[in-house]
Order: sequence, then structure tokens, then C-alpha cells
Amino acid sequence: MPPRLNLLLTPRVIAYRSKPAVGVWRAQHASKPQPTICAVRGFADKSTDLPVSEDDKGPNTDPGAPHVSEEAAAMAKVTGGSGPDLEQGTPVQEVVKDDKEAFDKLPQVMKDSIRAKTANPKPQTRPYSTSAIRRADLVSQEPAESYLQEGTEVSPPPGLRFELPDLPLPSTSNMEHRYDPVVAQVTNLLMRDGKLSVAQRNMALILQHLRTASPPQVSPTRPLLPGAPPPSHLPLNPVLYLTLAIDSVAPLLRIRSQRGAAGGGVALQIPVPLGLRQRRRQAMQWILDAASKKQSRGSGRGGFAQKVAEELVSVVEGRSGVWDRRGAVHKLGVSARANLNFGRKR
Amino acid sequence: MPPSTCLRCLPIRPAPSPRPVLLCHIALPPAQTAAFSTTTNLSAAVAKKRPNSHTGPPKRGVKALNIKKTQRIKSGRPPAPGERKALRKRIVLSNTNALEVQGMPDLSDKNITDASLVCRVVGIPGLVVDSLRAVEAFKPTQGWGLFRRPAALVRKETLQLGRYIQEVETAEGKKTIRRVVVGERGSGKSTLLLQAMTMAFVKGWVVVNIPDAKDLTIGHTEYGPLFNTNPTQYVQKTYTANLLSQISKANKAVLSKLQLSQQHDLPIPIQSNISLDRLADLGARDPDVAYPIFQALWAELTAPSTKGAVRPPILFTLDGINQIMRYSAYLSSDVKPIHAHDLALVRHFINALSGAQALPNGGIVLAATCESGKPPSPTLELAVAQSEARVAGAEEVPQPHPYKAMDQRVLDSMRDVEVLRLKGLDKDEARGIMEYYAASGMLRERVDEGLVAEKWTLAGGGVVGELERESVRMRI
Repeated sequence: MPPRLNLLLTPRVIAYRSKPAVGVWRAQHASKPQPTICAVRGFADKSTDLPVSEDDKGPNTDPGAPHVSEEAAAMAKVTGGSGPDLEQGTPVQEVVKDDKEAFDKLPQVMKDSIRAKTANPKPQTRPYSTSAIRRADLVSQEPAESYLQEGTEVSPPPGLRFELPDLPLPSTSNMEHRYDPVVAQVTNLLMRDGKLSVAQRNMALILQHLRTASPPQVSPTRPLLPGAPPPSHLPLNPVLYLTLAIDSVAPLLRIRSQRGAAGGGVALQIPVPLGLRQRRRQAMQWILDAASKKQSRGSGRGGFAQKVAEELVSVVEGRSGVWDRRGAVHKLGVSARANLNFGRKR
Repeated sequence: MPPSTCLRCLPIRPAPSPRPVLLCHIALPPAQTAAFSTTTNLSAAVAKKRPNSHTGPPKRGVKALNIKKTQRIKSGRPPAPGERKALRKRIVLSNTNALEVQGMPDLSDKNITDASLVCRVVGIPGLVVDSLRAVEAFKPTQGWGLFRRPAALVRKETLQLGRYIQEVETAEGKKTIRRVVVGERGSGKSTLLLQAMTMAFVKGWVVVNIPDAKDLTIGHTEYGPLFNTNPTQYVQKTYTANLLSQISKANKAVLSKLQLSQQHDLPIPIQSNISLDRLADLGARDPDVAYPIFQALWAELTAPSTKGAVRPPILFTLDGINQIMRYSAYLSSDVKPIHAHDLALVRHFINALSGAQALPNGGIVLAATCESGKPPSPTLELAVAQSEARVAGAEEVPQPHPYKAMDQRVLDSMRDVEVLRLKGLDKDEARGIMEYYAASGMLRERVDEGLVAEKWTLAGGGVVGELERESVRMRI
């Protein structure tokens, strides 16, 4: 039986959501009083839920110092110059134009926008950041922890023979999904003529070969998925080995040929993104194609499994021709990216 | 309207005058009459019309469809004869990726009866591994290749075997223990035989093993009648030579110290004080003299011990006893099937098992059934049931079916043989072996009570082969 915990979470495109603390029965949640002031405000919360200041004052409501423009106008009046026009308000850019110290204290976005207007932007650089910052601080576990800290014993409801399971249930607890998803999918792809048992035996032989073969020598020219464990760790976790091999050569897209769309009887190549299972399926089909063309060395019934396992090892080592097939698809996808919007309604 | 001039009145072409060609022909030699022609196109072969819709169907006998057969491109060296089978039957005893299990004890002559080792996995010492490999005690289907080094679980029956060995050694009059190991498929019968051999090797016994009785009876090795025997016995000389080489290789440490002590009538001259391992080597080298030398070797091993020449006890084992409790695939000269007990080597084992031939220096005769692809042997099943009933002291011993033919020779050979039945492991033993799996890095789960119970149940009540299959081999 494959291990339930799949350590290779990197290829999965799953939004991170922190789970509530384990061991808390949900019905108990409902009966608990909600905290009066929510420490966390989500983006979609109503404005009526906003926290209210105790003295009805905001941070800048104190009428102590005058506004910057008013101050500048007063100063100009004293010095005899012409200050800013108080009727129109002064843009911040003008305020900080001559004030180095104030410019330094501006938010980064404004600094960047001012710089972008003044200086010529460098080629190959974007004036804005493309990396998303996960606001982990927005998701707090305080409410869940506060329940646990209250010290009330979480007693299971009466009438249960066994203790309650840990919630949420693991994804493998469903009978239909009790095996590792990659192993189950690859087993089905290995199957010929509906003989699932033979496919399962071959799958076991493949994993056994991965476990007993010497650790792979990973080639730097064919990088595996980022975050992959060192190759010496792979043989002891054959399911991870298999997953890593498949996910590393899985194509991101496929090319759909739309007949007659390009005119003159030429098919229009349209790149279509693939889902996770589709990517794995395509990669495994390529691996099986390559394996079935190999010459079998032994006799008996384990020959095909041996060939598939050797192909998987060669994928991880970067020797396999499957990498070229993926490269060709990606190259075609890049050259056909102009056709992405074909047929899409505006 | 008719033409104005009469057509017949029109001048016609003048008739050709008689040419002087004949004269030329006569005058010129024929070689110079080579025709010079400008009409080369006419003499050229007519270009074939390409078939189109107007040409109609192809004529009979004309090949219309031309499909080229795809040539299979053979690359590399083809496998040598026997290489593919050798790859299939290869026995791997080590996995360098597996973790070394810390604190695993080795089996030694001191601890074979140590009850504290039950439920623990015990390593097989390196020298014994070589001997076990020589007698083909390891099977290719077993999971030795998954772990760092060969090791086996000590279960209650293993401890029982250790006690048998101690019993044989300490008995007053040299004792022989005869057992048949039965149990369902994957219950550890072959491994129990291997453990018995391991203990015998560390105790300095002589081990004779027939690794698979199927090789003797399915007709894959040559056979011939033995003279002066009634009923006729048949000798498999190539198999005997191979057996002698295995005996010599595996027991070299013991046999090299023993010397010939009796006079034997052998077809080749031998030195009078030759050591027994060299005697076995002589037989292994020449299949024609293998069987007489095997008999001489056996006579030497079973010769009574004297002060000068102490003969060690013997462990005689055979795997797949249900293959020899029936008719073999060989035919006699009058085209009747030969009973397996008429094959000389099989008869030799059966005599030892039934007690017809004693082991004067003591020893153990062990046989195990083989449940995979087993041929029907209803008499053996009856004999096993009878033996179990006898030992249990049951009132009614199972009787043969009145309307079915039973094999009397099989019943006679099993008359007073006891049965050692292997059942599933209990939970503690299952936990011991699963902790070994986890310590080797082959089982990536925490071994706790829940996991052990789950695997034990899925393994049909602790059948150890199934336990390994589901927890280590990932056979779902």
C-alpha cells in the first residue's frame, strides 16, 4: 500500500488555506459564542463590520497642525512669494519635489511612479512587482486556539462506540480514493485489455525496481521540479520517485489543430492548457511509448515493468527522449501563442 | 452535288518501279545492313500507363497493392542462450538502498533455542548465506532482494525447530526427527526450511537439500533404469551430479574433515583416504559415476561414528513434497507412467522420511509442501489429515474414500510421519516483522497497533507472504 502522505506537494496547484486545529468537533464550534470583535477582516466583509474607534476619532482627525499646503501658503505669505493655490489642492508629487526627506518617506508605489515619470525606464524591467505576496498574517488561528485554551474538555457526543475521527478526514479515507492518486492513475494507464490485476502487479514491480536500483544521477541540463529531494532520498520513497519523474516531464499544454481556421486548408495550431491529471497522463503515455520500444533483456512476465522502470530512471537522469517531446510541444505552444484568443468571444 | 470531273479520270500515283534492292542485298555482306533509324522512340519500351479511373480494374495476376513490410530494426547484441532465464532466476540478496537495521542479532549456535528471540527478526551469518545459496535455499520469488542483508523472523515454529536440533544432539541413542511442513500459500514453509538449514549449518551438520522436487518428476532431466532392481528404479544422473556439487560446495567445512572409512565398489579408482568433499566433487564432475558416488557418500555419512571418525548429524530437506507423492511424467520401457517413488533419488528421500532407512548418527528429515501450481495429490492430503488426527489423539482417524483409488505407496510412506502445520503469524510476530520492515526503510508508516491490526487482517490472519506483499511490495 502506498504511503498516504504524498510529500510532493509542489506540483499541485492547491490554494493554501490553513486548516482549523485538529481535534475540535465542529458541532461544538456552533455552540460557542462568537468573539465580539473579529481580529481578522476579510476582503469581502461588509463595511458595517469595521471596528469603531472609542472616541470617534481617526488617526489624523486631531486639528493640531495645518495641512501641508496651508502651511506652505502661510510661509509664502510671510516671505512674500506665491504659495500653492489652496483652492485646487496640491498633488503630492509637487509637495515632495524639492523635499528629499519627504520623498524618502513616500510609499514605494508612489516613489516608483514618480521615478518612472522622470527617468527613462530600463529595458527588461517592470516598474511594478509581479510576485504575489501571501498575506499569511491575514489568516489568523486565534479563534481556534482560543477555544482550546478555554480548557473545556471536548467530550464526544454520547452514543458513539469508537472515538471520533480526526477532522478533516484525510483524502485517502474515501474508499474510491484510497491509493495514492499518481499510483492509481499510472496503474490504470498500464492496464491493457482491462486486466487491472496484471497492471497492479506491474506497478508493484516498477516500484520495486525503483527501490532497488541505485540512486539516479540527476543531470543539471534537465532540471527536475524545484523543491525535489536529493536523489539519494528517492529510492526509499518510490512513489515520490515515480511522481517526480512524471511531473518533471509533464507538458503544460497541448496543441489543438483547428481545421480551416487559418485559411487555405491549413489547420490553425491553438495551444490549450492542460489540467494536472491531463499533464500526468500525457507524460506517462510518452514514457510508456518509449518503454515499449526498448528491447527486453530478461524473459518472463516482469519484462515490461522492468522497461518502464528503466525509462522512469532515465527520465530522472535526463537521458530520456521524453524531454525532447515535451520541449517540442512547448516550443510549438510558444510559437502559436498568437492563436490563443481564436474563437474567444469578446 | 457530284463533282464536275470524273474521279476515275484523276491522275493517280504512279506505280513504284521495281527497285534494285535485291541486287544490293546480294552484293553487300549482312553485317553492314545494320539499320540506321531515327525512330528510337518506337523501339523504346512503352511507358506504363499510370492507373487512373479510366483504366479499369487491374488485370489478373498483376500486383495492384504494394505494402512494404516494416522491417524490425534489431539493435545491440541479442541475448546469449540461457541469459534471459538466468536473469529471471537471479537471486539478489541485498538492497544497498535499504537501511541497515541497528541492533539486529545474528543466528548462532548459542541462540537457536533462545525463546527471547521469538517475534524478532534475526540475521543470517555471512558464511551460512554462501552455503544456503549453494544448496539453493533462497527462492527467486522471496523478498530477500528488498533488504540490506538476509534475515528472517523467528516465529514459534522456528523455535520448535531449534529445539528439535538440540533434542537430536543431546539424545542418548541417536534420534531422527521426521516432519512434513504444511500450510497455505505464502505461510512461510520454504522459509522455515531455510531456517532449519541455517541452524544446521551453524551447528556443523551436513545439509542435503532438494530445492524443488518438481525438477525431479516433471521430466525435464534425463533418466535411465538402474540394473538389478525390482521393481525397476530409475536414476537421474545429471541431477545427481548437480546435487553432489551442491553438497560439496555447501558443506565443504564439514566434509573436508571427514575421510573415507569403508570399502566401496565404485566404477572409478579412488584414493582410500580421500576426504568426503573431494569424493563428492569426483561425482559432480562425471554424471556417469554420480549415482554410485552419491550412494557411497551417503553410506559414509551414515556410517556409525567411532572414536576416530565422528560423523555429524544430517539434515535432509525437500521442498514440494506433493510433486513426488504421485506418478511422475517419465515413462517406462513399456510406456507406462513411472511412479515417483521408483525414481532413485526420490526413493532415497522417501526411505529417510518414512524411517525405512535410519540415520544412525541422528538427524532431521524435513519436507514441505508447495502450494503454487500444485498437482492434485489426494492421497497426500488424506495422509496429512490422518497424521494430524493421530497426533491430536482423535477418536476417528479420516479414512480413504471408498470409491476413489488411493495410492498405497504414499499412504505407507507417510504412515508415521508427523505434520508441522504453519498458520498465520500472531499479532506480536506480525508487529516484529513490520517493525523490521519500517527499520529497513521499506515501510513508510508508523508501526502502531492500528496499522498492525489492519495489515494482519488484510493478510488473511497474518499469512506472512501476504503481509510482506501488502506492506512492503506495495502490491495493491
